[in-house]
Amino acid sequence: MQTSSAAPATTLFDRIVGFLAWLALIFLLFPVVLTAIVSLNDSFFIEFPPKALSFKWYFNIVNIHAIGRSTLISASIALSAALLCTTLAIAASLAISRYQFSGKAFLTAFLLSPITMPMVAVGIALIQFFIMIGAAFTWYSLLIGHMVLVIAYPIRTLLASLTLMNPSLEEAATSLGASKFKAFWTVTLPQMKPGLISGFLFAFLISFDNYPISVFLVRGGLSTMPIEVFNYISQNLDPTPAAFSTLYVIVISLIIAYAERRYRIVSYSIQ
Amino acid sequence: MGQFTSTVRITGSRDSFWSRYSGALFLLAPLLVFLIIFYVIPFAHMLRESFQYASSDTQAGEGLTLHQYIKTWSSARIGRVMERTFRMSLLTVAITLVLSYPIALLLLRLKSSIRTIILLVIFISLASSLIVRNYGWVVVLADKGALNALIQALGLMDKPVRLMYSEVAIVIGLVHFSIPFMVLPIYSSLLRQPSSLQEASQSLGGNAWQTFSKITLPLSLPGVFGGTVLTFALSMSAYVTPLMLGSPSSSMISQVAAEQLLIQLNFPYGAAIIVTLTVLTFLIVAAYATLLRKVFRADV
Repeated sequence: MQTSSAAPATTLFDRIVGFLAWLALIFLLFPVVLTAIVSLNDSFFIEFPPKALSFKWYFNIVNIHAIGRSTLISASIALSAALLCTTLAIAASLAISRYQFSGKAFLTAFLLSPITMPMVAVGIALIQFFIMIGAAFTWYSLLIGHMVLVIAYPIRTLLASLTLMNPSLEEAATSLGASKFKAFWTVTLPQMKPGLISGFLFAFLISFDNYPISVFLVRGGLSTMPIEVFNYISQNLDPTPAAFSTLYVIVISLIIAYAERRYRIVSYSIQ
Repeated sequence: MGQFTSTVRITGSRDSFWSRYSGALFLLAPLLVFLIIFYVIPFAHMLRESFQYASSDTQAGEGLTLHQYIKTWSSARIGRVMERTFRMSLLTVAITLVLSYPIALLLLRLKSSIRTIILLVIFISLASSLIVRNYGWVVVLADKGALNALIQALGLMDKPVRLMYSEVAIVIGLVHFSIPFMVLPIYSSLLRQPSSLQEASQSLGGNAWQTFSKITLPLSLPGVFGGTVLTFALSMSAYVTPLMLGSPSSSMISQVAAEQLLIQLNFPYGAAIIVTLTVLTFLIVAAYATLLRKVFRADV
């Protein structure tokens, strides 16, 4: 926008930038589109070009081992982890944005550090710890592993929304006679909403998708959806995972599009 | 009376100290307790374990030892895998940067409706399952996959090319995974630049390339730093992507550590490998931040 208004003539530089950008976007979409094509192919193997159209691989999704049970476990873990982490993050981000204390930068870096830890390291550290305290391979130990995995995401988005916010609004509410709780509930919380929604959404999606931490923390009947899908891919060559992937991307797209329409999470996350 | 007043004043000052920080402590305590029990203690425990003998070690004994680290550093295989992991991560960061910066620049120039669509595509990509995205590359790169079909249709080769299970396939997967993590911080750093700076450069006769290299790029270095560090850290510790797109001869360091734990059941050795990776990644990132700060005077 800014550049085009100042320089109407497209230069070689602009053309190179545009070419690379569209190349990168095609690269981003390429495997998704091709997976969708493969998922509709009648053939028993991944094959190009597709010969006959069929929806049979979509019906075959139910034959992925324990897909129903593992999806339920993944959903319950992701929902619990996202809810608990967002709650913990609301309190912590309020403390960081409202109070002045020394070591704040260090504390923030510490709270955000799980993002950059190798996931295999988190998995190894936690499974040894759970074995030591005798709580390994339980639903709760899996939940705690996922909470460590996702905690940094709501903290990051909430801190971003709180720094943009004007604290004098809450002061105005209390000076007009609202209780502290009421001022928080009616003034502060609505303003935290975009950070809340995008933090919750990312916590949920990242937990739902995780493989490298879960693989250490599950055993036997306790299993997650990504683990079962991964196992299916490594043991079978048919295009069922393509059908599954296409369905997954469609559902994710609908959720993100809805969240953008309703809460403007995309425009918000950029600022 | 005077004594009474001074007592009140002392309790008063204590009260104000307490009331100033009790709120923050109360709000932070639940999260800090959680992270200390389930993050700090497990990592401290793992660190301690990495300084112990495994039951399978021949000279097994009690007490702390550097045995696992000596084993890590003297193993030719670990050295090879570590070098490969570093090389592939560096390549991933470079390619991702070259592809992502133009997207960020393009986003600035587009109409807001198209911009929102592209941002949605990037967000959906970010939120789509890693296994799903890697599987997409299996579909593209397989022997009978899309790319081979294209190569043969164009008559470039008469037999399928082995694209899967190679370092190239892993780097493609890693770049695909990393693009959203690179685009978003760069784009937000570009948004923060006042457009008047670019206009000033152009009105003073600077061409598009000069404006970019003298104004836009230096001012966006904090975003570039954020994106490259995240991409580098994610690539260095990649586990699922090399597992799905690579072969044993292209394995990365997380796989070797996981193998010690899941297959060899050698916890101390696996812990030492992963601690080495974590510390190395941290040191490289710290050196990189210092370089950007000293050489380019970037505010990172």
